[in-house]
Amino acid sequence: MNSFNLENHPKINSGFKTPEHYFENFSESVLAKVSLEEKPVVSLFQRRKNWFLAAAAVLVLGIMIPFLNKPSDSQNIDDATIETYLAQSNISQYELVNMLDNEDIDALERDLAMDESTLNSAMEYNGNLENYLIE
Amino acid sequence: MQDESAFIKELLDAKTQNKAFEALLATYQKSLYNHIRNIVLNHDDADDVLQNTFVKVFRSLKDFKGESKLFSWIYRIATNEAITFLNAKAKRNGMTNADFQEKKIENLQADSYFEGDEIQLKLQKAIALLPEKQQLVFKMRYFEELKYEELSDILGTSVGALKASYHHAVKKIEEYMIKN
Repeated sequence: MNSFNLENHPKINSGFKTPEHYFENFSESVLAKVSLEEKPVVSLFQRRKNWFLAAAAVLVLGIMIPFLNKPSDSQNIDDATIETYLAQSNISQYELVNMLDNEDIDALERDLAMDESTLNSAMEYNGNLENYLIE
Repeated sequence: MQDESAFIKELLDAKTQNKAFEALLATYQKSLYNHIRNIVLNHDDADDVLQNTFVKVFRSLKDFKGESKLFSWIYRIATNEAITFLNAKAKRNGMTNADFQEKKIENLQADSYFEGDEIQLKLQKAIALLPEKQQLVFKMRYFEELKYEELSDILGTSVGALKASYHHAVKKIEEYMIKN
């Protein structure tokens, strides 16, 4: 062959063939791939992980209950507030005295530490004291 | 193009997407298969690349700006996929792209999905000796009969440069055909 002109030569096809019915099934396989991508698969591990997380959350809440239900911190109320409350309330001296136990009385005696002269002068100025002593 | 922009809207709308994508598959699968097959040469590879191309098209639809025609955009994705596939496979086999292609041409003789005509095989051998860009231009123009304007849009090369490329390719092929 001394000359070859591609444009003048009868068309040469690529020579490639496809398997029979290839295109009939092709669309389906691509659509299946694409729809799988659209709905991401949740793996078994991931589902378990969600359950573990839920259980852990419940456990943490359970542990927190005693702290969450803690009563208001009444012990921190200062003495001045209690004194003001008692002074403004209608509790009589008798009621107050009845609330005191032996320990309280001892504590009061220690705090007040009244000497004899003070006691005598108090008795002189308070005429009704005899009534208390009789009781 | 009014029809194309309406079709793209259907492709992007979740309600109409599946049906529109089926239509897109039906429109392009055969021509894209031929395009890819001309590059990768054997059927199994062409099947892989074609599937990957459509999956990539589906995934990238939201990024399609409409700056080029849908046809050109899809062909560009297919071309890139096919070339990337070939390069990766050559690398995996520890071969240069040229050696790998030569091996593929040799395998064509035993390929049940290649007609095996003597002149067809000779033409494939001649094409395999061309530089990559000339191969691509020649195959798209000669086998697929795409217009230079379409080639220009797909490959991002000027029509003048494509014509020169095709002309060089034809001359080299003719020389090969005479000598062999």
